[in-house]
Amino acid sequence: MSEATTAKHPRSFLERHHHLLRRLHSLTGIVPIGVFLISHLLTNGSVVWGLLDSRKAEYGHAGVATFQHEVDFIHSIPFLFFIELSLWGAIAFHSILGFYYAKTGITNTGSYSFGGNWRYRLQRITGYIGILFIVYHVGTLRWNWTFLTPGGTAWSAEFAGSTMAQILRGSPSELTVAGVAVTAGYLLGVTSLVFHFANGLWTAAITWGLTISQAAQRRWGYACAGLGAGLMVMGWAAVIGFATLDPAEAKATEQKFRLKEQREAEKIGEVIDRERNRVSAIDAPR
Amino acid sequence: MSQHRVIVVGGGLAGLSASVRIAEAGLPVDLFSLVPVKRSHSVCAQGGINACNDVARQQGYSEYEHFDETVYGGDFLADQHPVLEMAMWAPKIIDLLDRMGVPFNRTAEGRRDLRLFGGSLFKRTHFAGATTGQQLLYALDEQTRRFESEGKVTKYEFWEFLGPIVEDGRCVGIVAQDMRTMQIRSFRADAVVMATGGNGLVFGKSTNSVICTGAALARCFRAGAWYGNPEMIQVHPTAIPGADKLRLMSESARGEGGRVWVPRKKGDTRDPKSIPEAERYYFLEERYPKYGNIVPRDIATREIFDICVNEGMGVDGKNQVYLDLTHKDPDYLTRKLEGILDIYEKFVGDDPRFTPMRIFPAVHYSMGGLWTQFVKGSYNPAEPRKKHASGTPAPIDWKVGQGMLHGAPTNMMTNIEGLYAFGEVNFAYHGANRLGANALLSCLFDGLFCGLSVANYVRDGKPGKTPASGMAAQAFDAAAAKEADRMNRLLGTVGKGGDASVNPYAIGKELGDEMTAACTVVRSGPRLAQCLSKVTELRDRYSRAVLSDDASWTNQSFSYSRAVGDMLIAAEAMVKAADLRKESRGAHYRTDFPTRDDSQFMKSTVAKHDPATGAVSVELQEIDHALILPEARTYGKKS
Amino acid sequence: MSTATKLDPAAAQRAANRKSAKAGRTVIFRVKRCEGPGKPSRWEEFKVPVPPGANVISCLQHIAANPVTTQGARTTPVVWDSGCLEEVCGACTMVINGRVRQSCSALIDDYAPQEGDVMVLEPMSKFPVVRDLWVDRSRLFHNLQRVKAWVPIDGTYDLGSGPIESPASQGTRYKLSECMSCGCCLEACPQFNLEEDKAAWDTSFIGAHAISQARLFNEHATGAILKDERLDALMGQGGINDCGNAQNCVKVCPKHIPLTESIAAMGRAVTIHGIKKFFRGE
Repeated sequence: MSEATTAKHPRSFLERHHHLLRRLHSLTGIVPIGVFLISHLLTNGSVVWGLLDSRKAEYGHAGVATFQHEVDFIHSIPFLFFIELSLWGAIAFHSILGFYYAKTGITNTGSYSFGGNWRYRLQRITGYIGILFIVYHVGTLRWNWTFLTPGGTAWSAEFAGSTMAQILRGSPSELTVAGVAVTAGYLLGVTSLVFHFANGLWTAAITWGLTISQAAQRRWGYACAGLGAGLMVMGWAAVIGFATLDPAEAKATEQKFRLKEQREAEKIGEVIDRERNRVSAIDAPR
Repeated sequence: MSQHRVIVVGGGLAGLSASVRIAEAGLPVDLFSLVPVKRSHSVCAQGGINACNDVARQQGYSEYEHFDETVYGGDFLADQHPVLEMAMWAPKIIDLLDRMGVPFNRTAEGRRDLRLFGGSLFKRTHFAGATTGQQLLYALDEQTRRFESEGKVTKYEFWEFLGPIVEDGRCVGIVAQDMRTMQIRSFRADAVVMATGGNGLVFGKSTNSVICTGAALARCFRAGAWYGNPEMIQVHPTAIPGADKLRLMSESARGEGGRVWVPRKKGDTRDPKSIPEAERYYFLEERYPKYGNIVPRDIATREIFDICVNEGMGVDGKNQVYLDLTHKDPDYLTRKLEGILDIYEKFVGDDPRFTPMRIFPAVHYSMGGLWTQFVKGSYNPAEPRKKHASGTPAPIDWKVGQGMLHGAPTNMMTNIEGLYAFGEVNFAYHGANRLGANALLSCLFDGLFCGLSVANYVRDGKPGKTPASGMAAQAFDAAAAKEADRMNRLLGTVGKGGDASVNPYAIGKELGDEMTAACTVVRSGPRLAQCLSKVTELRDRYSRAVLSDDASWTNQSFSYSRAVGDMLIAAEAMVKAADLRKESRGAHYRTDFPTRDDSQFMKSTVAKHDPATGAVSVELQEIDHALILPEARTYGKKS
Repeated sequence: MSTATKLDPAAAQRAANRKSAKAGRTVIFRVKRCEGPGKPSRWEEFKVPVPPGANVISCLQHIAANPVTTQGARTTPVVWDSGCLEEVCGACTMVINGRVRQSCSALIDDYAPQEGDVMVLEPMSKFPVVRDLWVDRSRLFHNLQRVKAWVPIDGTYDLGSGPIESPASQGTRYKLSECMSCGCCLEACPQFNLEEDKAAWDTSFIGAHAISQARLFNEHATGAILKDERLDALMGQGGINDCGNAQNCVKVCPKHIPLTESIAAMGRAVTIHGIKKFFRGE
């Protein structure tokens, strides 16, 4: 029995551009979001891997100094606002469509507890958690939603490490209950996003048709798992690194680093001034 | 838009190929099937499909030899001209299937591979793994879906055929019932093609699907269609015994080298792999040195039956023998036979690549079916020729129209004008025994060759002048009303108490047990008489049947219960015909008449049903044997 | 191909059960029943004696002949769909103990080896129930129309043989062509869900089976004539992009068809097709 069911109805925007939107959804997850995630976790992880940089030890905590250096570098990038804007656009696009697409499925890991099926389910759950985390993370750190941070701490780009530590610990000194909650939230958020990215990278290769045979899918799976594990280490290192930091010590390091930077800047300024004076002295009418 | 319509009943290979062919000829087709057509019983055919091809031809084989083998294999009971035409068409049919995308196994060069099959000394069987029927059915299913998407074929799936509507001796439609809504209604048609397959369920457990009750045939029979050679039932030598059905183990297992044996010592309980060669009795190879394990089915079946029942040499003292493939390379087996080996492993638990299979014969195919006519083709030698010597040049070349006149409206039309029978439900081609891998061929041949006959009949015959669409509604309404009455009478019995003796399931089971015991491998006059009285008793009990479900929605048990009544009538025809045929021929073996008697019985049995009295009578009818002289069918047996 | 080299845990459990199965035992069948579309479901239990080699079908046949519940109440015979009983027609698919499979190949010894063990039978949940365990799978077949799953031949005339094909290509196509439209892949798929509105079928997820069939016909020399049309269908809403890569399909396929490879292969084809269309300005 098959009466032709091709009832003609006006096709919505989503329907007409279904393929393009689906593929853009997949693409944006990798570029720019995934690429940004990698660089962001590398930056934040510097609070731990920065300890390896002995040249920074003179400021006190080498990790904090390295991190501050990285943050300063990012803030020096020209047109940062536009980069941020496009990233925001990509995240909004990816998550709104993601919500809509996730709505089309009904999970069934209860009956079919295969690994792949769990990954399918986790991909959706981590998507939800991830976007909540991103909004919180950016809201509190970038848009100053201090009503959502313990003790109303505001993050500052000049004192990146110490303010971050203060937020994750819940107070400028000891670790508080609120601090533990925020730290746990960060761990969950970071874990979710890393899983979401690594698994998304694995499925994208199927979606785009890069890995066809089961062997190829398995191999690429190992690669994605490896990348995920690396990012996971970086992300956890950052969160735990900040959460275990003494904000006072961090602040001291930052001040020292800032002072040195200033001094260097002043030094350069002095040279310039001197030169300018010299030149003006030469040029001055006798 | 044509004012004509054609109904095809049955969506297996015959029904689908007929639908495609008739739709292609420009006539809209209404296709009725008990199941989604892709699930039809053709899907179970495993081994392959026979046809001469260029390789076989250059080795000395020919279409003519294929024809000769089929007639000889059928023990000279089939009308010979239609068989000739079928064999001539076979290579074209393979080509067509190939074009449809059937994944036939390939040679290194990429051409279609061939395998050996029963009844031939040449490799002439085309195959797609060990699921050839499935692959062929799917190809036709796909083509039908294409026509369906173009609106040229309308499918009525889950509809049950209840009977033809016959007006003035002409079939003008059918009555059918939607098995979900239980709605009964009549459908008009200018021609009706029955392609409803076999009737294994009459024998209870068989290799057939659960839908193969044969009820559709019986319903035509009750409406006056003749039933040809009803006693000719093929019992396949190799099947897996099971609680719900007997699963086929394809002849291709033997074609690919499988050997049938039992331990030489009665009651030898050793692991089969540990029994040395010398202590194994390869009885088919020893008794038939020329054909060995690939003797035709009726012969292999009787020999296995003989070994187990008469000699008591069955494995573990049971009715089972070994079918052994373990001497073959497992990878080769996987490539050629995976489908059937998986079935064995799934249902028995042993891997046949490493453990010999235990098998026993099972009811498999009905050579008999609705009696049909044909118009002879152009090849009419003055005298019938002697049996063709294998491998010698053929007396006639490959050409269309030598056996049957292509497009003649009466080709494969039953005695009721406008009612055709295609495929297994057609009694033509296979005589007293069907050769392996000829069934798929006959289904497709009927659909593709005789589809044109249907179209020509509709255009040029009576429907051309008076289409069914213009006839008065009264006959159609009356036919539907009669079936509704039958349903209501049966449903009215629900809750009327009654013991097991009037339970339709019990009646069906007893029928199956009795028919299997009396009317399969070995038959005799006294046993058949006993069987007939049992069938009569069951018919009487059936008239008082009490059903268990009166639902007016998707009432499956009602549907089965109704079919049991029709199966009983078909069974009566089978038993009576088996009794009338006092000789042994092909699948029909009588202990009281163990030899073939051409002078009296080289004739079709034709069963007729008197609608007025409900009586079933059987008579003999001359056959067309103008092409080959009969000779003893020994397959080189050593005496 | 199951040379018993690597068994998954469930299969190993079934094999162990088969070995320990008690002879002459009785098994309880819990059957989810429903009188028809729109009617409520209910559970009924039947005690069924289990002879050696019994499967779900033979037990359902027993229930059909003796429709009496465990409580001794007379009921109607259970309705279910079946055909070949050798796992090639696909008809008897249902949910057995929570997993979808064919009931003919579900041996009781594998699932319920001890006296009083319970077998739970439910209809497939992704298709509308007709009655009891019987569902209407017409959407599955409709989806084959969406991808034009056929070779567009010029009729049944005598036009010679088909294209030459390598044994390797035949092997690939044969495997894909074994799909019996049973619907296991759809039942287990989180992206394929019940849709009773026929008008929505063309925009709901098409399913692994249809994607794999599109690949089957795109791989055939003549079938490939409709390649672009198939890819267009797969690009649309409810097409291949709606696949969520849970990969349950390949795990539950009784014919071991490499469905996820088909999905990836068609994913690649659709990628290329989309790019070509973009640059052609279509």
